[in-house]
Amino acid sequence: MLEIKDLHVNVHGKEILKGLNLKVPPGEVHAIMGPNGAGKSTTSYTLAGRAGYEVTKGEIDFFGEDVTALAPEERAARGIFLAFQYPLEIPGVSTMNFLKTAMNSQAKIRGEKELNAAEFLRAVRAAAKELNISEDMLKRPLNVGFSGGEKKRNETLQMALLKPKLAILDEMDSGLDIDALKLVAEGVNKLRSPDRSFLVITHYQRLLDYIVPDVIHILAGGKIVLSGDKSLALQLEQNGYDAVIAKAA
Amino acid sequence: MTGSLSESLLATMEKRRGAVAPWLGDLQGQAQEFFKREGLPNRRVEAWRYSDLAKALRDDPLPDATPVFAPELQQAAVAAFVNGVLDDKSSYARIGAVNLRTALGEKDSPLAGVIGKVYPQADHPIVNLNTALLEEGLALRVPAGEKVSLPLHLRFLWTSAGSDRHLRLLIQLEEGAELTVYETHDGAPLFSTVVTEFTLGKGSKLTHIRQESFLAGARQAAVTLGEIAEEATYRAFYFSQGGQFARHEALLKLAGETAHAELDGAVMVADQRHCDNTTVIEHAAPNATSNQVFRSVLAGSARGVYQGCIKVGQVAQKTDARQLSRALLLSHKAEIVTKPELEIFADDVKCSHGATAGELDANALFFLRARGIPEAEARAMLIEAFFGEALDKIESDVLREAVAKSVNAWLTTHAGEAAHVE
Ligand SMILES: Nc1ncnc2c1ncn2[C@@H]1O[C@H](COP(=O)(O)OP(=O)(O)OP(=O)(O)O)[C@@H](O)[C@H]1O
Ligand SMILES: [Mg+2]
Repeated sequence: MLEIKDLHVNVHGKEILKGLNLKVPPGEVHAIMGPNGAGKSTTSYTLAGRAGYEVTKGEIDFFGEDVTALAPEERAARGIFLAFQYPLEIPGVSTMNFLKTAMNSQAKIRGEKELNAAEFLRAVRAAAKELNISEDMLKRPLNVGFSGGEKKRNETLQMALLKPKLAILDEMDSGLDIDALKLVAEGVNKLRSPDRSFLVITHYQRLLDYIVPDVIHILAGGKIVLSGDKSLALQLEQNGYDAVIAKAA
Repeated sequence: MTGSLSESLLATMEKRRGAVAPWLGDLQGQAQEFFKREGLPNRRVEAWRYSDLAKALRDDPLPDATPVFAPELQQAAVAAFVNGVLDDKSSYARIGAVNLRTALGEKDSPLAGVIGKVYPQADHPIVNLNTALLEEGLALRVPAGEKVSLPLHLRFLWTSAGSDRHLRLLIQLEEGAELTVYETHDGAPLFSTVVTEFTLGKGSKLTHIRQESFLAGARQAAVTLGEIAEEATYRAFYFSQGGQFARHEALLKLAGETAHAELDGAVMVADQRHCDNTTVIEHAAPNATSNQVFRSVLAGSARGVYQGCIKVGQVAQKTDARQLSRALLLSHKAEIVTKPELEIFADDVKCSHGATAGELDANALFFLRARGIPEAEARAMLIEAFFGEALDKIESDVLREAVAKSVNAWLTTHAGEAAHVE
């Protein structure tokens, strides 16, 4: 489903990704770990199509289509979803209105039927309940005054409603207490399916105890330097990046 | 300078002096003298530095499309001014409003003590011009304690046909009275001035929703003059899309204790349009409060001007006066000029002013787009949110929706524009 080939990305004229290769087959969960500044968030933003992340070389194939030239909304409609490391607060835009606009915009781009008000409400209520998101939170402006955990739950809610084919979770675990972490991880696990893949970016083994990955990649210096199964996370936890990367080289 | 225009205006003043009512002749004569001396306001006059009316009138009027007129408000008393002439078939009499021309012409007109006397502006070029050229308008006095349930819709329909027009509106709210005025301007006056004088008696409340949806060629200078007595409230929302020249001034005097003025401005200008909001708020009594927030969205090479002056007299202790200008620039060629001025002569006061100008938040925009919302729509959502707080303060659902419609109409045309600028 996703195949990144020799991806080079410049941010503000500086090369951050330097030949990244990555393949995620349908239904699999892949984790990306790596030291601070390695280029993990850069990878996720580039996949989502953020302006300023200039692809100078390489391709991002998504279901066989190179998406590097597509606008963020086009990619979203094709099924790429980025859960933000730091979800934005957007005053004045109600969460409900945002959710509805997002769902219907995607449907429109895909040429599908938009939801009517009742269908939409039903879908939101059901998804919100599972994630312990109150009606009151839904009425508030998007993420405004939400706690760190509430913001991440809200990201998970969006993912549940938008039903992406590839979900990129950038440090989903940052700022979460154990209970919130479990809740979010459960939400993610419920969405696991043979035709949905996940790219889970994290620094910690802990998240991967809850969302068990099929493959773990280590990103350092703008490239994937090592890939392995879930035992890799344990090695990292014990020995640190430098040792593990040095051993692999 | 505008020799020929000034001359023709003077000739018209000569004709109109005392024409509506002989007793008005003196007042009009003084106004005419002022005009003779000062002419049309231009950028050499400090208060008109960023809005040169003389030049705008010298320029050729921009050609315009056929105007689309906003619908008449249902369940309202309507005063329709078609090219500056009050349509006597409209329903303003339902709430006791009267044709100003008729009322001024009456013997011992009760308006003699009102017109030009509310918050006198001997040195104001537009008020003087309007007085000297005055011929049409509306007057309304709401008796003590009466809470008028029907809003008054002042519906100005301008086509570029016809000459210049100068309207005067007089509104008096007696003690405890309440009224909502919905003022709409559509089309494009060649040159018009509208001067509104209102007095708010003790504990009264005037809600004023002003919605300018001019075409590009409109040239108008409007002034709202008000005196607000103790415990009274003036609650205003000014929406404007600007024009070739569009300026509205609110000159308000908080004359009694705990009088309150609350002004929200929403400016949406594109292309080469010009929009000026100027306010002067005089705190002339203790414990009065004023709060103004002007929000502007500017696209193309439009220019917005916000001049906000707060005057606090020596007696006006415990004044609380705030003003804020916030601008979103959708293009690098658009411009906002903000000029705050504080003249404070009391020591125990709280006064603040602030100004921000910036582009739409790129992070927020990316967030919305990454969820599948197309760029133009995402921009529109953020701009709508920018105005949201002000719109939410409009109490009447009908009026809030009417304004929201203008906001959305503008967004449909212009929200996507900036996408092509960078
Ligand atoms: N806007 C920017 N301007 C300049 N440099 C940037 C910008 N954004 C990112 N970088 C640089 O790109 C590099 C990779 O950053 P990135 O955020 O992708 O790292 P990361 O792997 O996500 O790190 P962390 O674990 O701290 O989240 C860093 O050196 C960072 O300083
Ligand atoms: Mg990061």
